[in-house]
Amino acid sequence: MRFPRFFGKKRGHRRTGSQAWASLGDAAFHAALLIAGIVFAGLLLSGVAVPEWRINQHFLATDCTVLGKGLVRRTIVATDRSSSFTWQPCLRVRYEVAGRSTESWSTPSRSTTASDRTRAVAALSAWKLGDTVPGWYDPTAPATVVLERGYNWWMWLLTLLLPGALVSFGGMGLARAIRRWGRSQERCAVPSRFSDLLDPLAAGPRQAAEHPGVPACDDLVNSPGTVLAYRLPIESADNWTLLGFGLFTFLWNSVLAVLGVGAVIDLLRGKIDWLLLTLLVPFAAVGVASLVLFIRRGLLATAVGPTQLEISAQPLRPGGRYEVLLAQGGSGTLDSLRLALTLEEQATFTQGTDTRTERMTVWAHDIRTWVDLQLTPGARFEAREAFTLPAGAMHSFASEHNAVRWSIAVHGQPAGWPGFVRTFPLVIFPAEPAIDNAGLRREAFP
Amino acid sequence: MSTATEGLRPTPRVIALFSHGDRHYQPLDPVEIRYEVEGLDDEPPRAVEHSVLWFTEGKGEEDLGVHFFERLVAPERLPPTAPMGQFSCRLPRSPLSYEGVVVKIRWCVRVRFFFESGRDYVSEHEFTVGLLPPARPLMAMP
Repeated sequence: MRFPRFFGKKRGHRRTGSQAWASLGDAAFHAALLIAGIVFAGLLLSGVAVPEWRINQHFLATDCTVLGKGLVRRTIVATDRSSSFTWQPCLRVRYEVAGRSTESWSTPSRSTTASDRTRAVAALSAWKLGDTVPGWYDPTAPATVVLERGYNWWMWLLTLLLPGALVSFGGMGLARAIRRWGRSQERCAVPSRFSDLLDPLAAGPRQAAEHPGVPACDDLVNSPGTVLAYRLPIESADNWTLLGFGLFTFLWNSVLAVLGVGAVIDLLRGKIDWLLLTLLVPFAAVGVASLVLFIRRGLLATAVGPTQLEISAQPLRPGGRYEVLLAQGGSGTLDSLRLALTLEEQATFTQGTDTRTERMTVWAHDIRTWVDLQLTPGARFEAREAFTLPAGAMHSFASEHNAVRWSIAVHGQPAGWPGFVRTFPLVIFPAEPAIDNAGLRREAFP
Repeated sequence: MSTATEGLRPTPRVIALFSHGDRHYQPLDPVEIRYEVEGLDDEPPRAVEHSVLWFTEGKGEEDLGVHFFERLVAPERLPPTAPMGQFSCRLPRSPLSYEGVVVKIRWCVRVRFFFESGRDYVSEHEFTVGLLPPARPLMAMP
């Protein structure tokens, strides 16, 4: 007898593992999250939210006379069995409950808890014996009296956010697992009203109307061009790299600055922390290197100047002829500037615990290449070119983990600087099929 | 989990016939499938599912798009009362069958039988939509 596999792996054309056990594991995981969320919510509601709400809504106002002062000591035992104490001021107060005088101890404020007894004693001096302070008592248990009320908004936010996230994530996952239980892969994949609600991430990219699997091109046609119909949005990895470098440089040097200021203060006080100083040297080296790289990349991005591309139509069709207008700003000399049409395949897969994406260019066509191009500040270089899409070209495709992407790439090689690539995405629809009067179907190419 | 008894059960066999003998279709074409099932013996199915779908193959995780789906549970429409089945649909405009390098798109018809014992059996029959040349890593423009 073979024991079922609890997890699956993709092996070529087949997938190992048991679907039933995978569904059971998925359901158990999400059920555990849901239960944890409910328990957590119950604890926060009963321990924090409900008592606070009752104090504000149900407790009755009264005037309390301070009769005595004291400290509440709480013992905290650490894992190594050592103990420490916290101290909180408390007051003995007298107040009227339905015409009857009642006495009770009450802690005036949560914020006055201190680990230092002297500080707690000093805090007690804020109240004098015989003073009258406002208070609120519980009508169902008159011995319970509070001297401060209001809502702790952070606690309410925590009460809503943490258990809410666990309950919604676990609940959605459990509902999805129950919906899929015992159903075939095909039946689960049939779109329903609840598909997007239960599994929003599985919906994949937005698709063009009446063209399943073809990405929508709404975002590519909302910017009109100055000469041609549409101005294409830029999709450059360089911009994201620059942003990444900028964030890293900022965070790293912020930490370095905090540590550096601490070290300088220590030095001014005549104290030398050798460990901190030794650590600061490599930290500072990394900080300076990241700053240099960021400035270099920033200079490259700004020195080259912006690239704009306009196109005569969108979406495109196989066999169609289209015009593009390239505009390159900046100054200096470009050793080469190349305009190319490319088709790239993209596959996302899980390898161990990592999610990886592999990209491969499977087709490229140079529309035009310029060499020794002199850019003049204030007057951008413009060129209008045309290209024809092959009649047998694959259309754009995008699903949750796979994609076939068309784009026009501008490859530039500035003199004395590293080269750059700026990519402008295109959407290509399949050739429109046509039916003639005899009922025979032919491929129609524009 | 399979048992020794299940291991001895004969595997059903589905013979599918497409309306186009070469199993090649164009977008928006009607596709009709007739099938005959053999080897069910004395274990009649409690349900049969027919589907026409595309799926991705290659390096990435598999994605699936179901274009047509129907589930039959009425005993008069299931074997052995109805040993032959048929279904039809009109294909969509996309995606086209594609033989890429890291992404491939395939179209197929699946007939899935569900048995009283809880096990199921699926028979998959591929066909092509459109006529695209296979991709090569960085192919030069003709």
